[in-house]
This record gives sequence, C-alpha cells and structure tokens, in this order.
Amino acid sequence: MRDDQASPGDQESPGDGSFLPGPGRKAAGIGSLPCSHRKERFMKALWFLCACFAVITIVFILAFLLFDAYPLIFEIGISNFLAGTVWNPTGVPPAYGIFALIVDTLLVMLLAMAIAIPLGVGSAIYIAELAPDRVKAIAKPAVELLAGIPSVVFGFFGLIVLTDFIRVTFDVPSGETWLAGSLLLAVMALPTIISVSEDAISAAPNEFREGSLALGATHWQTISRVVTPAALSGITAAIILGIGRAVGETMAVLMVTGNAAIIPDPIWNVLSPVRTLTGTLGIEMGEVAIGSTHYHALFGIAVVLLLITLAINLLATVILARIRERHRGGTPVSPGGAKNRSWHWLSAPIRKYGAWLAGGVLGLAIGVVFGLPALLAALLGYAGFRLIRGHISQDWTQRVAFSLITCCIIAVLVALGIILFDIIAHGLPFLTWEFLTAPPSNLGRSGGIFPAIVGTMYLVIGAIAIALPIGIGAAIYLTEYTRETAVTKIIRTGTDLLNGTPSIVFGLFGFSFLVIFLGFGVSLIAGQITLALMVLPTIIRTTEEALKAVPVSVREGSLALGATKWQTIRKVIVPPAVTGIVTGTILSIGRAAGETAPIMFTAVVFSTRFLPDSLFDPVMALPYHLYILATNVPGADGQKYATALVLLGLVVAFYALAIWIRYRSAAAHKG
Amino acid sequence: MAGTMKHYWMTGLATVLIIAVLASGCTQQPLDSQETTLKVTGSTTVLPVVQAAADAYMADHPGADIQVTGGGSSVGVQSVGEGTADIGMSSRDLKAGEKTTYPDLVVTTIASDGIGIIVHPGNTVPALSIDQVRAIYQGRVTNWKEVGGPDQVIVVTGRDSASGTREFFFETVMDRQNFTPTQLEKNSNGAVKQTIMQTPGAIGYVGLGYIDNEVRAVPVIVNGEPVMPTVDTILSGQYPISRPLIMMTQGAPQGLARDYLDYILSPAGQMIIAEEGFVPISP
Repeated sequence: MRDDQASPGDQESPGDGSFLPGPGRKAAGIGSLPCSHRKERFMKALWFLCACFAVITIVFILAFLLFDAYPLIFEIGISNFLAGTVWNPTGVPPAYGIFALIVDTLLVMLLAMAIAIPLGVGSAIYIAELAPDRVKAIAKPAVELLAGIPSVVFGFFGLIVLTDFIRVTFDVPSGETWLAGSLLLAVMALPTIISVSEDAISAAPNEFREGSLALGATHWQTISRVVTPAALSGITAAIILGIGRAVGETMAVLMVTGNAAIIPDPIWNVLSPVRTLTGTLGIEMGEVAIGSTHYHALFGIAVVLLLITLAINLLATVILARIRERHRGGTPVSPGGAKNRSWHWLSAPIRKYGAWLAGGVLGLAIGVVFGLPALLAALLGYAGFRLIRGHISQDWTQRVAFSLITCCIIAVLVALGIILFDIIAHGLPFLTWEFLTAPPSNLGRSGGIFPAIVGTMYLVIGAIAIALPIGIGAAIYLTEYTRETAVTKIIRTGTDLLNGTPSIVFGLFGFSFLVIFLGFGVSLIAGQITLALMVLPTIIRTTEEALKAVPVSVREGSLALGATKWQTIRKVIVPPAVTGIVTGTILSIGRAAGETAPIMFTAVVFSTRFLPDSLFDPVMALPYHLYILATNVPGADGQKYATALVLLGLVVAFYALAIWIRYRSAAAHKG
Repeated sequence: MAGTMKHYWMTGLATVLIIAVLASGCTQQPLDSQETTLKVTGSTTVLPVVQAAADAYMADHPGADIQVTGGGSSVGVQSVGEGTADIGMSSRDLKAGEKTTYPDLVVTTIASDGIGIIVHPGNTVPALSIDQVRAIYQGRVTNWKEVGGPDQVIVVTGRDSASGTREFFFETVMDRQNFTPTQLEKNSNGAVKQTIMQTPGAIGYVGLGYIDNEVRAVPVIVNGEPVMPTVDTILSGQYPISRPLIMMTQGAPQGLARDYLDYILSPAGQMIIAEEGFVPISP
C-alpha cells in the first residue's frame, strides 16, 4: 500500500525519500548529454516559475489591495476604520467604521456553521456508514453535484422565496435577515462539508469497524466511538473549508441579508438585518467614485476580508500540522483518498475538546434560533439524558441516533430538492429554442440569452487556457522536481491561501489592476485572467493528486532505462495522470462558469446584441445576467427563472461529467 | 487497452487546449476603427434608456456598433475621462474632484428622472409630505399609523451608499440628515422594488421607470396638495423630487458620438426615453 502520509510539508517522514526525486535527479544527471541537460534545467526552471506563480499572485493581490487602501490611514485612521461602529460613507459627516460589518460577517458565519455542521456531519455518517449500497450510489454523486450550484442561483432563490417565507413564518416586518443569510450559507456549505467528511469517514480502515463490532459494540457505538473519532481531522478540515466558503460568499448573502450596517440588538436577534464585508463590496463597488475616500475604504474592507480568510486558512494549516505531529505513525492510511490526503491525522486535542466545542456550537444554534428558554430546555434535557444514560438500552440509543442521522440527510435533501424544484418548475416553461439562440431585447425581458451563453463560454475557455498550463507546470514542479523544503512549503501555503481567497476579492483585484491600472477596461481578457487566478489552485491541487497517484516504481523504471527526467515526466508520468487532470479541469470550468463576483466589475456588460470580436470587448455572462434580471430589471420573471435553469444546467453538467470520469476511472482501477 | 485509454485522454486534453487557444486567439482582432464603434459606459440607472436608444439607432444605421455597458456612474466618469470609453453615463452631477481630474468633460443632459416614494400595494397611507418621508428615513417615525396609514411597523428600504439615486435623495429629501442605520440597503432600483412588492410594511424610493401596479407610488404633498409622480407633474415642475440624467464626452461630441447624442435628443429619441419611463427634457 502506498504511503499516503508522505504529504505536503512532511519533511521528516521516511516514506518521502523513496517517493521524491533524490535518486531521480542523480539518474537524470548521469544519463543525459550536455544538450539535453540544458533542456532539463530549462524545463525545471520553467516549472519552478509556474509553481511560484500562485505565491506571487497572492502577494501581488494583497499588495495591490493595500496600495489602493493605504490612503485610508490618513483619511480615516486605522482605529476609526476598524473600531468605528457606523458605516455611512455619504452621511454628514461621513463615517467609515467597519466594526459592525466585521461582527455581522462573523455572526452570519457562526450561525450558518451551527446549522450546517450537525446536518453535514450527520448526512456524511449516513452516507458512509448506514446507507444501503444503492442509496449510496445515488446520494454520494448527488451531493457532489450540488456543490456545483452557483451562488447567484442560491441568492436568487433566497431573494424570491426564502425571505418571504421567513417574513410570514416569523411574522416580522421584513424577511431580509441574518437568519436568511445563515440558512442560505448553511445550505451552500453543506455539499462541501458532507463530501469531504464522508471521504474521511469512509477512509477509516475497516479493521477498526470489525474490531469494534467483534468486541461486542453496537453499530452506533462503533460509529460514534471508533469510526468518527478516527475521521475527526478530516471532518475538521471539512468544517474549515465550509467556514472559508461562508466568510467569502458574496452574491447569495448580499441578496438576502438586507445590508443594514448594524449589530443585531440584542446580539442573538437572528431576525435583524445585517451587512457583511462581502455584501458591502458587492453592492457599493460598482458606483463608487474612483480615488475617493469611500473607494479607499472599500479596498480597506477587501484587505480586512482577505486577512480574515488568510488567518482562517493559516490557522487550519497550523492546527492540522500540529495534530499530525502528535499522531505520526498511529494513523489509518486512506487508500486512494483523493482531495483530503493531508487531513488524515487524528487529534487527541480535537477529540478531547471537540465534544465540548460541538456542544457549545449546537447550544449557540439552539439559543440563537429558538431563544434562551429553548437553550435552557436543551441543557436540562441533556442533563437528564446524562442521568438516565446508564439505564437506557444500547439498542434504544442506537435507534434514536440512527433516526436523528436519517433526519439530517432527509432535511438536507429536502432543502436542496425545494430549491431545484422551484427553479425547474418555474423555468422550464420559458425554456424555448428561441430563448437559447436569440439575443436579448428590451433588457432581457424578451428575446433570449445567446450572447450570455457564448460570453460565459469565452470567459471559461480563456480562463482555462491561462490556468491549465501554469497549474500543470506548478504541480509537476511540486511533485517531480523537489523535495519538501521551505520553498515548497511556501509555494503550497501560497496555493492554499489563493484557494481560500474570496471570489469578490479577486473581482476587486481584477478591477483595480487589470481594468484600471493596466487600462484593459471592462473586457473579456480582464475577466479571463481574473477567473484564471481563481481556478488556478484547484487545477494545481487536482493535478498534484493525479501525479502522486502514479506509482514511484514507474518513475524508477523509466529512469533506469536511461530516460531523462523530462522524458520520464512527459512520456511516463503525465499520461496516466491525464484522467485526474481532466477531472480537475472540468471542476474548474464549472466553478468559473458559475461565478459572478469576479466578473461583475471586470468583464461583463448588461446587455448586448453582438458577440465580442476582440479580447478587449466586454461580454455578457449567464451568472451576471441572472443577477441583473433578478435585481435590476422589473418584469422579467420567466426569463430570470429560465436563465437560472440554464446556468444551473450548464454548471451541473460540467460537474456531472467530472464526477462520472472520476467514478469510471476509480472503477477501472478496481477492475 | 490501458495504452489506448491514455492515448485517448492525451488527445482529448490536447484538443481542448488547442481549441481554447484558437478560440481566444480568433477573437483577438485589432480594435475597430473609431467611426463605427462607440463605447458607452456608466450608470445602471441611465443604461436601459441608452441601450434602447442604441438599439433603435443601430437598426437605422447598420454600420454603427454601439456597445453599452454598466458599471456605475463613477466608472462612467472615469472611463470617458481616461479615454477607455467614448461616452459616459451618470445619474448624478460630476463631483468637484472629478471636474478637477477631468476638466475637459462636456455634459449633455438627455432626460430627467422622477423619484417616486413607493409602498406595498396593500398599504392605505393616503399621501406623505417631504417632512414625513424624511422623518421615516431618519427613523423618527417607525409605524405607519403615525402618518395616517395602517398600524404596521415601517420597513425602511433604500439604496447603497455609492448610489447616485441615494445621493440625490439625501440632498433633496433628507436635507443632508443621516439615514436610520436600520434601513435595508439595496444595490439597484429593481431590488428595492422587489422588496417593496414582497413586504407589506416597506417604504422605498425608485426611479419613475420602475413604478407600475406591482407597487404603489405615494403622492407627495406639495403646498397642501397631493402630487403623483408622473411625466406631466415632473415636466411642469410640480413634483418635487426629480433629477437630470447626463451623458459625458471628452470635449464636445464628434462623429458617431455626436450623431448618436443628437438622435437621443431628437423627438424619436425622446419618445424612447418616455417609453422607458423617464421624463423627456423637452415636451
């Protein structure tokens, strides 16, 4: 079995040496002529440059945002900016305090996680441990597919259906609330949390289950005491990914939270409107006077947002590294565990405090959603449960636990089902051939969306054409050319950080750097580059995984036959990894096609009859078209649902293709 | 077997890449010459009417390609000032700073826009004075019954702080008094309207073009008389809340830009402005 623990940043692991190219480099040196030697060095330098690209980009983004934000130090003052509680840039006098925005961002994220974590982990346990094979075969890809639903589609649904539901149900004046934002974010984070947790739980070795069952433990005891703890670091990783997505999400949140820059009063009032950092950028960036104090303040917000996500990501890296440090050697190996290889180290600390933490979060959720009395009741109930616990039969406990878990997955599927049904039912009647092939007229109220479909294609193709070579090059360098050193550690961290950067921050960077500074204007090329930066980390990661999956014996065989390093890579290592690379590419295409925030300031136009005939022309794009129809154009009800349906169909089709390829290649490996 | 598979995938990947490069390559042509292409960019409030006028103009002039893009008033000012666009659109006047940065900008007023105070269709409040509207937006009046409406909490809805519409509302209606911090902020006229439609207690303000029977425009009391926001009352100056919509060029408009602006100002163009729900500058 391959040693999966030999993973990023793992310098001391003895397994590493055989994997990576100490011997390989020597062999290449001996076997090659001077001419090819020069070529070898050239290739290596080229791939090194590719690998550095992610780091350079993230530093560059931060530097450029700081460059546009730093005047606020003189115009506003750091403490007024960070600690001021009033955000009113056009007031008299103007106020630029973002404290309320930071608090609101964290509140929305916390409540979303309090809802998503129990449901997500419960669903993951169901899929991994309880589901009959036939259910699992459908549920697992279905959940992965749902990760592809574009956020503007969620926002659209939230704006039309969810806010109204909340207003009526809770009898409040307006449904645009903290609760609406958190519910939507929870649903959006669920697919990520479920599929990563499920991978981690499934990866727990079967011996654990068999051993536990053989000792006479019930199925539930096995799950709760053996399997889940073994998967805890993977679950932690899933939760951190979910948090990252929740903090960085823009479009859905700005459409449903009301955007009032106040701290809820009292602080647990989930029915108060709130305004997040991302939402502020999303609604104010488009109209702000360039170079004004307000403009600098918005870039200041982007810096704060970027720093928050960087902090979350770094914290995750540090926590997981520490966990791994303590548990080296004693851990299960995940055979072929794909994306979350680096997460498989258990943690005593997490196991120890995890229960308390989970209890705290759950308590907060109950308190927040149902009020203090409910929290007290829950605490009493739990105390009562602890008292009589010894007297309940394990059988009964198991029945209760399993029905709760089943409720989780049902709740998740129902929530997603409602969203899909609403969009399909309303959109399908308007989906005609003409709608797909005609240009829009009357601002999208009639005509079709052909230019938007083509524009989305152009954006995606360009983004992939830029990101794919760089991403593959970076992955080749990281897996084939280097040992784990401080440099690779920095490169990997840079890639991780780029991956965690909120899409709206890419949008701001693209606007400030490509559109304004380089003078591209709002154009196809600006959008393509912005999207390329956004999908680059995905391509690097998936390619790296695919390359690592090629057995080291294949490399040694090729080198032993006298092939050079580059020949080995090109002829031997890359070909079997192509399936994995293609999967990663398709996932990136899906993500790029569905994103709104990165292109709304860089590439798109409201309405055009013509297709672009230059890279410096702006284009229409499906997600932006939907956003505009939903928020700017009255009287286009059928068109917006049909646009949502087309966008949904397109992105989900890409995801389905990727998932299908992955399953097929997995099946081929097994056969 | 495995060999053919690999080969298949390599070819597939190569094809994708080649297509990608070709596709982005073939779109890369030299920019069209100035006399046929006109780039118009800026305010999303002005955009619908400019787009509609562009469609009509291009139907008559097949050689002309007028590209209208959004981005906001500030982007409009900046783009035309920097020369990345030929015409800028704005729903607010140029700011002092913008006038100093781009001293050569020439402003053409193409229409007026009335701002209507809108409520849910079920709201029975008969009319509001400017003072009452201001009190509501300041948060001093929080229930509709205080201003003659039903016993219902008022949901104050407005525009984001970068919006030209909000700025205008702030100057004219609010008399530069601050908004209540609890107001819901929306980034477009359409989003405000959507909220008002769904929320029985809500009040909002939108451009004239967004008022239809899905929301109810509240008459504004001027000198004791209720005045509805309509094209007529705005033209006659009776309705108090209206503003100009402007287009900017670097220096006096020339060539296609001039022809297009002339078209918008012509009777045919002004008809389009009226159809899109704005107020023509000449009757």
